[in-house]
Amino acid sequence: MKVELIEHTTDLEPTIATAVLTTTSKSRPSKLFHKLRGDPNRVAKILSRIEVQHGSVFDHNRLCWRVEATDREVLDVLLKNRFFTFTRLDDSIWLSSSNLRTAIRYIQDNRDAFSEALSESIFDISLKSLGGLRVKMS
Amino acid sequence: MRVELLSRMPSEKLRDLASSCSVDEHELLTHLSFTFAVEGISRACSHQLVRHRLASFSQKSQRYVEVKKLDEHVVVPETVEERAPRAFRGFIEAASGAYRELIDSSVPKEDARFILPNATETSLLVTMDGRTILHFFGLRCCNRSQWEIRAMADEMLRMVRSVEPDLYGKAGPYCYQLGCCPEGRFSCGLMDEVVERYRSLADE
Repeated sequence: MKVELIEHTTDLEPTIATAVLTTTSKSRPSKLFHKLRGDPNRVAKILSRIEVQHGSVFDHNRLCWRVEATDREVLDVLLKNRFFTFTRLDDSIWLSSSNLRTAIRYIQDNRDAFSEALSESIFDISLKSLGGLRVKMS
Repeated sequence: MRVELLSRMPSEKLRDLASSCSVDEHELLTHLSFTFAVEGISRACSHQLVRHRLASFSQKSQRYVEVKKLDEHVVVPETVEERAPRAFRGFIEAASGAYRELIDSSVPKEDARFILPNATETSLLVTMDGRTILHFFGLRCCNRSQWEIRAMADEMLRMVRSVEPDLYGKAGPYCYQLGCCPEGRFSCGLMDEVVERYRSLADE
């Protein structure tokens, strides 16, 4: 199985941090967002405080992967977590997407090739400031 | 009311991938995502919004955030303003006073909030995937939907069309999307007018 992250939502990390603060802050979410977008250190600090079991703040995004897998492998993923979406691009090539909450849940619950590939694509390639989550998940 | 599109999944790379594999672009909608900040809507409106279960929400909590100056943070419907403003204001003042009294008596915010009215303003983040939002527009831009959530849906539609004009040029109430009204005997009977409104929105 080959998994390649090809795209994710814009301003993914500031948006998660905005979701965290929106629930408990008097400030307007748009104001929080614009402040946080210019302050990556504060964003990293907020993200490091998130407990992964309180996952709703990870809903406000989407990640898209190009996946090379057999029908059986895709079915296996869908049976384990129905919140992934797959579109067939070719015989064994798929476009798959989910939000970060679904991806994290899958990585937490499963030890398989897809889980490993997801983890690598999220934490090692694009979204470095979310690396702290890996420690909490292991 | 204020609506801002904060974040989205851009379609360009996905469309390139799809076109090289002869996949219909509309199959990609489910992979898109839009996150909005919605501010200054009533709790009555947010109750309707959260019924769209495939969306995600992070809403300002009345458990954690005290409502100060309730009378300055309520949404007043136009009909109320026109026909019975005194009754409405009188109740808001009473609710505001009672809420203050509960807080001052050390009643926790999570319990004092039981007295707050549906008119109380709220803010939230809402995220919908590209297919869910099309369904949301179909229902909530419709003439039959309630005015506040319809105004919010119209704002969201304008923003989505401006960033994804090719994929969402035909987005709007179901009569605009389908070319016929699916509301049956509840139809507003003004389909031509509604379709024209959303056609001209596409040109804005």
